[in-house]
Amino acid sequence: MRVRAWLALIRAAIMEFLQFRVSALVMLLGNIIYLIVIYNLWKAIYASVDGGVVNGMSFNDTMIYLVLASAQFTFMEAYLVWEMGRAVQSGKIVLDLLKPIPYEQYLLFGMEGGNIAAFVVTFIPTFIIVQIITKGAIPMGINLVYYLIAATLGMLINFTIDFMVGTICLYTQSIWGINIMKEVVVLFMSGATVPLAFFPETLKKIVMFFPFHSIYNTPLMFLTNSSLTTKDSLLMILEQLLWVIGLFIIGKIFWKISERTITVNGG
Amino acid sequence: MKRLGFYLKIYRKIVIQSFKSKMSYRSDFIISMIGMILTDISELLAFYIIFLNFPSVCGWTYYEMLFLYGFSLVSLTPLQCLFDNNWHLRHYVYDGDFIKYCFRPIDIFFYYISEEFDTKGIGQFLVGMGTIIFAWNKLKLPVTFINVLAMIVALFTASLFMIGIMNFAAATCFFLTNSGYVMVTMNKFRDYAKYPVTVFSTFFKIVFTFIIPIAYIAYYPSLVVLRPDHIPVLTWIAPAYGILFFFLSYKFWMLGANKYSGTGS
Amino acid sequence: MEYVIELKNIDKEFKVLNRHEGLKGSFQDLFSRDYKVIKAVNNVSMKIKPGEIVGYLGPNGAGKSTTIKIMTGVLQPTRGEILVNGQIPYKNRTSNAQNIGVVFGQRSQLWWSLPLIESFKLLKDIYGISDKDYKEMLALYESLVDIKELYSKPIRQMSLGQRTLSDILAAFLHNPPIVFLDEPTIGLDVSMKAKIRNLIKALNKEKNTTVILTTHDMGDVDALCERIVIIDKGTMLYDNDINHLKSFFGAYRTLKIKIDKHAEELSQDIRDKEKEQIENLLKEGFEAADFTVGQDEDFYSILIDESQVHLMKVLQYLQEKIKIYDVLLEEISTESVIRKIYEDAENLKKKE
Repeated sequence: MRVRAWLALIRAAIMEFLQFRVSALVMLLGNIIYLIVIYNLWKAIYASVDGGVVNGMSFNDTMIYLVLASAQFTFMEAYLVWEMGRAVQSGKIVLDLLKPIPYEQYLLFGMEGGNIAAFVVTFIPTFIIVQIITKGAIPMGINLVYYLIAATLGMLINFTIDFMVGTICLYTQSIWGINIMKEVVVLFMSGATVPLAFFPETLKKIVMFFPFHSIYNTPLMFLTNSSLTTKDSLLMILEQLLWVIGLFIIGKIFWKISERTITVNGG
Repeated sequence: MKRLGFYLKIYRKIVIQSFKSKMSYRSDFIISMIGMILTDISELLAFYIIFLNFPSVCGWTYYEMLFLYGFSLVSLTPLQCLFDNNWHLRHYVYDGDFIKYCFRPIDIFFYYISEEFDTKGIGQFLVGMGTIIFAWNKLKLPVTFINVLAMIVALFTASLFMIGIMNFAAATCFFLTNSGYVMVTMNKFRDYAKYPVTVFSTFFKIVFTFIIPIAYIAYYPSLVVLRPDHIPVLTWIAPAYGILFFFLSYKFWMLGANKYSGTGS
Repeated sequence: MEYVIELKNIDKEFKVLNRHEGLKGSFQDLFSRDYKVIKAVNNVSMKIKPGEIVGYLGPNGAGKSTTIKIMTGVLQPTRGEILVNGQIPYKNRTSNAQNIGVVFGQRSQLWWSLPLIESFKLLKDIYGISDKDYKEMLALYESLVDIKELYSKPIRQMSLGQRTLSDILAAFLHNPPIVFLDEPTIGLDVSMKAKIRNLIKALNKEKNTTVILTTHDMGDVDALCERIVIIDKGTMLYDNDINHLKSFFGAYRTLKIKIDKHAEELSQDIRDKEKEQIENLLKEGFEAADFTVGQDEDFYSILIDESQVHLMKVLQYLQEKIKIYDVLLEEISTESVIRKIYEDAENLKKKE
């Protein structure tokens, strides 16, 4: 079974994460500051409207959405494109390919440990703080189960996109440029920068055609939107699942084709 | 002062040479540039979307906010172009490679920072300038000698603050194991620089004015042009404070470099 | 000034965090303040004269780099006195740096993206080298190595060998009295190694530069160093010239003789008999001396301690007694002597 290899990778990544000592605390502090900053900012933004509800989003809804989106970002984003790009540039990728486990699995489970640790260290505290401050605005029911499934799938979609973009690094030296483009597109189109609810209609329609909203927006819906029916929920998860499978297959094919450039150029 | 001339002379040569060599990697230059411009455009889009839904932010109009944003982009350009090597500092320190900077008869900070000239900041500068000019026009601000001069001084001052913040953040790697998150967290603050500090609560007004002085990156300096009738004292002291803050960050950086003893053998 | 470098009873200690093992330990470390003190350099003293090439040897983690960092003014020693070019290096790193050149293994100190000649020009400005000296130095370089074709090449595009070469030239550019070379030939091929060694030797001769060289390659030591200093676990084990090193454990040499024309046809029994015969002959001839006789393919090897009897005498004696077809002489190699020094120090530690 390969499960043992997977567990070993996850364990190693958790330990690596905890080695950081102070940085784990700094990260938490950074998130808290970010939380307060956007709280102030949106409070000021909402101060200019009467009634307090815009496009179906109240101030509270927006806050919860943005704070959780950012907390979600910290545990989902693994800077995979960077890692792959560096591995290509330093030639370390040749060693990674020699490991007795397919490269995408090596990356995924190597990243997973950090994700789980960050989920515990940043997301859960953030979740609790939000819940206390808003006096229990997040519904606590079956939707939490949906959330965990959707977040896992969202993370997998993010992974497949990262893996695909990272593969581009086999062709170009410009890791920074590739990475920043990916990050901007993903964050903007997934609704992590500005909630999708505020987007003008045409833009919203365009965004829905892409997989990005499934990364951040879909899981967050389960925490912020209490009016979802079971059918809606299952459809959303199905959409995510299709994206995961589709993107994974494309990514794998792209990688298989690109892998040859390593064998040709020697990394 | 003779020393300053000496450093400027060396620096000018390094920058010219690095620029030439960067230009020889055209595809990298273009991709990075597009990435940078895309980032800025996504921010502008975010502003646009927010102002579609909301009439103003704390009494600041859409064009005034654009002005602040453009201002912050331009004042962050020197950080991006000239001080980018700070991002690699922790790798050098953890791998023990930082030692190589300690053997020259020049300032370590200068030597280290001079090694990298980052061209992608140019894209940011262009977008920033475009945004400022666009907003300036829409706001019908007068184009006078005093205004332009004030802008230039204000931009220089603003630059010093973010550079100082990132110096502090980068230098933490001399004291902490894996300090990457300090850099990332501090870098996030530059995103808040584009908002008027008045939107924040008193506590954060103080923090952003005196402790992590991001309010000086766009807000205080732009008041000179945007709100010429109500310029606070803090705006007047900004240039002196900027120089002091930069100096302190330099001292902190050097303290770390001196403490550094090389983890590798 | 008689000595360019003087170290007197130098100690250097580091504080290191005690890390705990396992997942639980990682959590503990999050808040731990548990430090231990490690002595990286322990009571090291040495004096180095102008123009010397000193090989500074020791196994990995022995404290070599720490000592070099102290000599270059990067580190301040915990205890002890140090003078480099008559200055205390850590008190004024910058002015000390003006008088030294440093190459640190594979870490290029040149501007990564600039062509070599531009790096040289910048160094000219940084060190305040006069036009005349600069031109003379470049002329010297061009006469020693094919450097001209590298001038327009950026460092990042160079091979490791070219980079090392460039770094060494850059270290000598401002004609410093002392140059520190930390593993300059690491990872290079044989011909590049020879090129680098010749270059170092030539520059040392030409400019009378003192060179402190750390290396694991005994080829470097044999080719360059007149004197070697060996350090292990922070303590100095040896400091003397290289010829003396070989007699450090007695002056051993191996004499190999072939006494049968067609030795490859002989059976093992006959060989053993012949070996015994040689042993007996030696016993008769030199009663006071010990020999170790072995058999190495078609030769019989005799390990001779020359402090007891000269090798030539043994050869002369044997030639009178038996017919010898072929002779080989083997010096004990620098590498094996140094290995013996490391091992002896290790054994001594264990005994304690």
